[in-house]
Amino acid sequence: MLSSRNIAYKLILIITVCSVTIFAVTIGYFYHSSRVTLERELEETARNLVLASVNRMETELSSIGKVGEGVVRSLETGNYPEKSLNTLLKGTLEGNTNIYGFGAAFEPDAPNTHTRPVNYFCRKNGQISFVPVNDLQFRTHDWYQIPKELGKKEWSEPYFDTDVEILMTSCSVPFYDGAGDNRRFRGIVVADVSLAWLKDIVASIKVLKTGYCFLISRNGTMLTHPDKEMVMNETVFSIAESRNNPELYEIGRKMVRGESGFTPYIGARGVKSWMYYAPVSSTGWTLAVVFPEAELYAEVRALTIRVACMGCAGILLLALAVALIARSITTPLHELAEATEEIASGNFDAELPPVRSQDEVGKLSQAFISMNKALKEYIRNLTETTAAKERIQSELKVATDIQLSLLPRIFPPFPDRPEFDIFASMDPAKEVGGDFYDFFFIDDTNLCFLIADVADKGVPAALYMMVAKTLLKSEGQRLGEPERILSCVNNILAADNDRCMFATVFCAILDTGSGVVRYANAGHNPPLIMESQGIRYLTLKSGFVMGPVTDTVYEAERLTMQPGDTLFLYTDGVTEAKNSEDLLYGESQLLYDLQQGPRENLADMIHHIRDRVALHANGAPQSDDVTMVAITYRGSGSG
Amino acid sequence: MEFQVKKEANATVVMITGRMDAVTAPQYESSVNELITGGDTIIVVDFDGLDYISSAGLRGLLVTAKLLKAKGGQLRFANVKGTVREVFDISGFGSIFQMDDSVAESLAKLA
Repeated sequence: MLSSRNIAYKLILIITVCSVTIFAVTIGYFYHSSRVTLERELEETARNLVLASVNRMETELSSIGKVGEGVVRSLETGNYPEKSLNTLLKGTLEGNTNIYGFGAAFEPDAPNTHTRPVNYFCRKNGQISFVPVNDLQFRTHDWYQIPKELGKKEWSEPYFDTDVEILMTSCSVPFYDGAGDNRRFRGIVVADVSLAWLKDIVASIKVLKTGYCFLISRNGTMLTHPDKEMVMNETVFSIAESRNNPELYEIGRKMVRGESGFTPYIGARGVKSWMYYAPVSSTGWTLAVVFPEAELYAEVRALTIRVACMGCAGILLLALAVALIARSITTPLHELAEATEEIASGNFDAELPPVRSQDEVGKLSQAFISMNKALKEYIRNLTETTAAKERIQSELKVATDIQLSLLPRIFPPFPDRPEFDIFASMDPAKEVGGDFYDFFFIDDTNLCFLIADVADKGVPAALYMMVAKTLLKSEGQRLGEPERILSCVNNILAADNDRCMFATVFCAILDTGSGVVRYANAGHNPPLIMESQGIRYLTLKSGFVMGPVTDTVYEAERLTMQPGDTLFLYTDGVTEAKNSEDLLYGESQLLYDLQQGPRENLADMIHHIRDRVALHANGAPQSDDVTMVAITYRGSGSG
Repeated sequence: MEFQVKKEANATVVMITGRMDAVTAPQYESSVNELITGGDTIIVVDFDGLDYISSAGLRGLLVTAKLLKAKGGQLRFANVKGTVREVFDISGFGSIFQMDDSVAESLAKLA
């Protein structure tokens, strides 16, 4: 599909796809690592924030604890009568504004110098006043019972004081008298602390825009939360329950166990958030800070979007640049293609676009211009050559006609001579050939007939053939004997024959009255005699070929033809006809085909052999002239 | 056609193999002419490897023979056999040229 598109389209597509891929991977990596870095930084910030706040709480709480411990030490080391105890308690409360109420509770069996089991002071309307407590059930309350049992300072679960409507917690410190085995528990010093300051500390922690903090007690109760409804009414676990959020439940368990952590968290209304929490160790509370993820990543997101926009703009610019470059390449190519098409359609004068640059396209244009020039030149040469060749061809055609016209072609040639039949044919391998035949009367009764093959083929052979044929006829009519004809013509030809051209000639004279044939051979293939008892090759003396050497001697031989006998003369174009496998037609095949073929009509006989030779060649090109002469003696006519 | 020349003590032996026809005869002609102009006037042509000879090939043999005769040299043919021998016999070349059954015989007769 892509292969059919143009170059500009392909370039833009490929480059854009690559750029977008690279850019997307880069920006993805950037976004991811930014997030990771941001999370790490945020965790650090959150931890610092929380730990700093926790420290502030610890400091505050420990100072309150120390107040209680100081009073305990006083009680354990000195003997305070009720009045001085009240002074101590009241004074302490006065000196510590963050304590709301302060008092001491005693064991009933303690060697008590006091009339009251509890001495308690608290702030009311800016005044410190004594609060009488007569209910002795306090000894079963947690604030008394737990530190007594544990034997150490204890912070109570925060509680809501309905009288003053303030969230409170109590710090209870047990005190004893005696030492070692005599050490006995005497009572508890308790400081009630308003937790209003806690709210301020927690509220002062600001994380991002909508991030917030909350504090939970060791039971998971909400001590502070931006949503006031939750304070003291909800626990982490009840929230987890209502939101159906098992992860929050798990976080709550970790908080209660006093662990710290940084964890993703689904906040109220399903807001994806992160939470950091750490314990306030002295009270077992946990301070947690929550911040929504969207805000956390807002900046990274904004930055990423800005970078993405810039990247997209860059890619657009890149695509534009590629399109321009592609155009600058393809426009000349397109022009070149159009011009080339016109040239291909035959208009070699079509104008090729000018070479504008030296780059590859410029070189291509240059090459096309050169090619066009070379083509024009070639076509011009070809036209000239073709014209010249056509001229030669037409001349050769004329030569073929002349050569053929030299051979007797009208059959029967002597219609008024019933003593014999004669037929002949010559098919040149090229336009003009070296083979020829002839027959003519020397006198009333003697018919001279001959077949010849000039060495080689083509124009030189044809020229030589003309001379040889003319000489053979003129000398034949003059001399009247075959051996003398050959000797005489040989000497004439050999006199001036540096190229050693030669011809093989079988020359014979038939006495039409008697059927006697006198013949002489100049290196020609032996003819066949077809008699009533069969067909055979004539055994004859092989004289030397005619033409190259002077004074060659030829011998005359003779045979007598009975009426009905036929002499079959041929050139080696017949027997040496080849097929595509270089297999020769051969003498034995010729003998066989003559035996099988028609005997009565000589034209049929020769055509039959011609067909057999063509069948043997089976389309292979004819390599030599094919010439045949057949003559049948019919008798003198008297008998 | 392949054409190989081997110098013997008293003659130059020319070995021709393959086909000698209108295409290859000029090669034979020019190669032997070179030998003759180079002074090798006693030549034995070894026909042992020759499969076929056409009338153009025969003409080539005649041209070189004529040239050698003009220079007063000698020419013998060895190992003319098979179809080549038939062509020689029909055309009468066998009676014109000095023919031997082997190169050794030719060399011996030249000695």
